[in-house]
Amino acid sequence: MEFFIQQLINGLTLGGIYALIALGYTMVYGIIQLINFAHGEIFAAGGYMGVILLSFLAARGHLETHPWLCMGGAMLLAMIYCAFLAMAVEKVAYKRLRHSSRLSALVSALGMSIFLSNGLMLTQGVYDKAYPSSFAQDGFNFGMVTVSYLQIVIFLVTAVLLVVLNILVFKTRIGKAMRATAQDKVMSSLVGINSGKVISLTFAIGAGLAAAAGIIMGLYYGSVNYTMGFVPGIKAFAAAVLGGIGNITGAMIGGFIIGMVEIFGAGYISSQYKDVFAFIILIAVLYFMPTGIMGENVDDTRV
Amino acid sequence: MKRKILTLTVIALVLGPLMMGAAVAKTLKIGTMSPLTGPYAADGNDIANGTRTAVAVIEAEGGIPGYDKIEVVSQDTACDPRQAVAAANKLINEEVVGVVGAYCSSSTIPASETLAEEDIPMLTPASTNEKVTERGLKYMFRVCGRDDDQSKIAGAFIKDYLKAKTIYIVDDKTTYSQGLAENVKKQCDALGVKVLSHDHVNQGDKDFSAVLTKVKQANPDVFYISLQNSASGSLMAIQARRMGLTCPFLAQDAVYHPQFIEIAKEAAEGSFLTFGSSDKNTAAYKKYIAKYEPKYGKPGAYSGYSYDAAYVLLSAIKSAGSTDPAKIKAEIMKMDFQGATKMIKFMPNGDSGSDYVIWKVDNGEFKSYWNPTTGKLF
Repeated sequence: MEFFIQQLINGLTLGGIYALIALGYTMVYGIIQLINFAHGEIFAAGGYMGVILLSFLAARGHLETHPWLCMGGAMLLAMIYCAFLAMAVEKVAYKRLRHSSRLSALVSALGMSIFLSNGLMLTQGVYDKAYPSSFAQDGFNFGMVTVSYLQIVIFLVTAVLLVVLNILVFKTRIGKAMRATAQDKVMSSLVGINSGKVISLTFAIGAGLAAAAGIIMGLYYGSVNYTMGFVPGIKAFAAAVLGGIGNITGAMIGGFIIGMVEIFGAGYISSQYKDVFAFIILIAVLYFMPTGIMGENVDDTRV
Repeated sequence: MKRKILTLTVIALVLGPLMMGAAVAKTLKIGTMSPLTGPYAADGNDIANGTRTAVAVIEAEGGIPGYDKIEVVSQDTACDPRQAVAAANKLINEEVVGVVGAYCSSSTIPASETLAEEDIPMLTPASTNEKVTERGLKYMFRVCGRDDDQSKIAGAFIKDYLKAKTIYIVDDKTTYSQGLAENVKKQCDALGVKVLSHDHVNQGDKDFSAVLTKVKQANPDVFYISLQNSASGSLMAIQARRMGLTCPFLAQDAVYHPQFIEIAKEAAEGSFLTFGSSDKNTAAYKKYIAKYEPKYGKPGAYSGYSYDAAYVLLSAIKSAGSTDPAKIKAEIMKMDFQGATKMIKFMPNGDSGSDYVIWKVDNGEFKSYWNPTTGKLF
């Protein structure tokens, strides 16, 4: 039982990270039917931004005195930075291709992904970069079960971001504009919605969430690397497809499912097939429910 | 007519310096192959940098008679066997006279077979798998130690010093890490240390929480971590300590890198590692570090070994006065000197012996801890 609970906690932590990344894939797909393969690299850029900002603060001693403030500030700045980065990527790599075939945009996305990951390698070096402090590494013990403070922080941050996103998309005017653009770009622009801006904004929001996931991942594992975007990116993409690509709630659920399946598969069956389990689920869902768990065309929830 | 003269002048101006260059400058090319990109890029770059340092030292000592310049052609293997073979072919086309590399045993083995077809000597600074020198290749040399020796030392330490009764082994399924883990398992079986489980993770994994939960439940006396690189090692250490694992960790040469301590910080404290006993007080080490550190920073695990490998190759060419592989080999086999990392003397199969000892992370530094030949602490 303790083994089960411990694995459940492990799975929730990992699932939260996947869910945050998966949202970016699903939102962009929902609005322009593009699979943004550069999204994993935006996530990595967020992790790097975190290491740069926190090292800067640590060198001046602020991290010691105000750890929570520094953390929050660094996360916010990294999210803003990545939002602008993603908007720039959209302008450079996708905007001109909006009216060409979907394949050209997809190839452009792959190119952008390679460009960004090599850019990280050339500017930040090939060595892993360590986060300045082993922040909140301690934790509680309940018998054999250990929950670190950091895991709790991850739950809270993930939950807050997911709630904020839901409010933004379903309760505000901007969200309404996003949903309208997703349903019909021409019609929505006829009623006065600037679809170009809405698309940029969607990229920005997705990137912000990915940046938050990047910092969380960096803190949780203690380091970042320029290749770190690839595997989580692919798994988050699987999560988005699993949930029904284009569907926000689906992406959240998909992220948690992939995280759980991976951890439980590794824990109970074999850790060497960890990656296999995540993708077996994906294949099975696509085979039996091609539109994913939440269905692709539930218009209301699609962005 | 005027135009023709003009054209000829331009051609002469363009080609002239090139031809002169070819006639005057004679360059000796040596190759390196190591993972310059991907998850093992840190170690791969150390290998290229160690080789460049050896070239700088040899050039400062007067270079190689008959050549104006020594050029290092470095190729990326990405720790991928196919890319390693492609890299070997590129080096053959570049007409290098010898190769330092590769890092991953799984790259070194196929690449050395390609190089062997052209009789190009290969000196590996880092591939510790036994098979590297056990295929009867004429021009394969190894500057580092061997995994069967490494696992013997690990076994002795576990049994004699730690007095462990149970062990949990995890590897990441590479030729190197799995080979080593299986050797350690054999040692433990022979010594009567109970192997609770031998588990595998994937190369480049970041999350080890699932397997660590199993380790915690099994509650071993020692946790043996066989991973292909130091970054994974630090992730493992951080997550294991966070999970509340208190038993000693034993890792190996690939985890021995300043990066391990830099990332894992206090989680690395007290970890044991098997690595060659390098004496940092020899003149050879000081000569090497004086050139290496100002340019490339703190040396990695294999910087020194690749320096030695390149130094051996270049001095053999120098004393042979030829780039003929048979003559180079004859000179290499004659060598017996103190290198930057160890005493260098090759055996007929190309090995240069192992000198593994146990190291411990103590106050943010690797310190030699236990000497297997005496069975005592240093």
